[in-house]
Amino acid sequence: MLPPLIRLENIHKAFDDAPVLRGVDVDVPESCIYALIGMGAVGKSVLLKIVAGLIAPEKGRVFIHDEDITEMGHLELAEVRKKIGMLFQNYALFDKNVYENIAFPLRRLFDLSEEEIQERVAERLARVALPGTEERIPQSMSGGQKKRIGVARATIAKPPIVLYDEPTAGLDPVTSQKIYDLVREEQRATGATVMVISSDVAGVLTIADRVGMLHDGKLVFDGTADEARKSTIPEVRQFVHGLTEGPL
Amino acid sequence: MTVRSKDVGLFEAAINVLKDFRAVWRVFTKTLYYLFRGKREKGEIARQMFHVGNESLFFMCITMAFIGAIITFQTGLQSKKLLPDFSLMGATYLKLLVRDLAASVGALPLATRVGAGIAAEIGSMVVTDQVDALRMCAADPIDYLVVPRFIACVIMGTVILVIGGFVAYGAGMLVAFVSFDVNPHTFNNLMYLNLGDLVLGFLKCLVYGAAIAIVSAQRGLATFGGSEGVGWATTEAVVGSCFAIIVLNLIISTVGYFLVPGVGPM
Repeated sequence: MLPPLIRLENIHKAFDDAPVLRGVDVDVPESCIYALIGMGAVGKSVLLKIVAGLIAPEKGRVFIHDEDITEMGHLELAEVRKKIGMLFQNYALFDKNVYENIAFPLRRLFDLSEEEIQERVAERLARVALPGTEERIPQSMSGGQKKRIGVARATIAKPPIVLYDEPTAGLDPVTSQKIYDLVREEQRATGATVMVISSDVAGVLTIADRVGMLHDGKLVFDGTADEARKSTIPEVRQFVHGLTEGPL
Repeated sequence: MTVRSKDVGLFEAAINVLKDFRAVWRVFTKTLYYLFRGKREKGEIARQMFHVGNESLFFMCITMAFIGAIITFQTGLQSKKLLPDFSLMGATYLKLLVRDLAASVGALPLATRVGAGIAAEIGSMVVTDQVDALRMCAADPIDYLVVPRFIACVIMGTVILVIGGFVAYGAGMLVAFVSFDVNPHTFNNLMYLNLGDLVLGFLKCLVYGAAIAIVSAQRGLATFGGSEGVGWATTEAVVGSCFAIIVLNLIISTVGYFLVPGVGPM
């Protein structure tokens, strides 16, 4: 296995004195799809935002490419974030049309001509199966379409790390699987390191190379998708198989 | 300033004000940094100038007309009791207006109109993760959201306050004529006005515009907790901006009294 590209060591985070993360250690190998699963409100999104440098942990360290981002100032963090694309749970699309939303990272990161930007946006839209929607306003589109636009925006700058926060939340099973397939295809095409957090275990296990489960502020499982399915850890077994009886 | 903490003691409230001041100062210094080092989106400053300027103009004109009319009427009533001579009414009113009232009184309604808008817009973006999305797209929120609003508020805030001052003066002149038979030629008297008054008044307009943008943007960026949080941020932006205007007025007026040439007792 390749060495970890993202390494979290002993991460602690609390909100209003209520601990959410209590010493989480995660290693995400390079060019791997790492699925982080767990019950609702267990701190999955918080952990993803800590990886992105959007939330600072109270204790612990986050290494990306062996650089400790917890020690960085806002300008250095901004440089690190240029290597990361992120899809947000509630889309977080701007009040602009589809074209401007997807082109936004390109305009901020590179000095490209408008023709080049048009070409890359058209390629992304074709990739997420939404060709010809450049002029549409995201607010008038369906949840699945918004997620696809979010995927296009997160990946247009070809970042080496992509973070997906609940990419299928609120979507029907067919659209969900299409989104997962898209995430897998994108990762295969670019070789990016991907972290996906999801409550939809069945779907996310179809694409994950490795799986981690958060429970009670700690990582209680870390292994392959098959190992997760066969795990005898009571919390993992109950969550992965959707059982009503158990510790959760 | 934090208005949410109703149950805190005086000491805690003072600490909160200091914390708020530090947060506002941090936004201000970052705004100055990105003012020179940032990446502007084409047309964004013009769009913000339109929001601050054109969309506030009618509201400000009406408000300042009423304020000018009320001040002149009350001044006339009081001076009638003491000294029934209105020959210097316009001259003193003009000095007061240029030196202080046009900027300081005008900035308060401007803060409610513009400050609330800035805080609500940025606050909504915070609670829908759009501000985090900006960060992930290599756009610092201060650079992308605050700097254009800061520039727009400084420029258009000044323009609006100057226009408001003219409207207040015109309204005062009309009231003086109708209520106290003061001829507009008599009212229109520049004898007490000097360069120091103009400098001080103009400086206040610039500073108040900047303060409204920075305080409101800071409150917007500090939003948390969904739509209720946006409501609180909007309220705090208006309260904070008005408080900043009053404090800055005291500081500028005091410093100006000693430093700006030509400013002082008439």
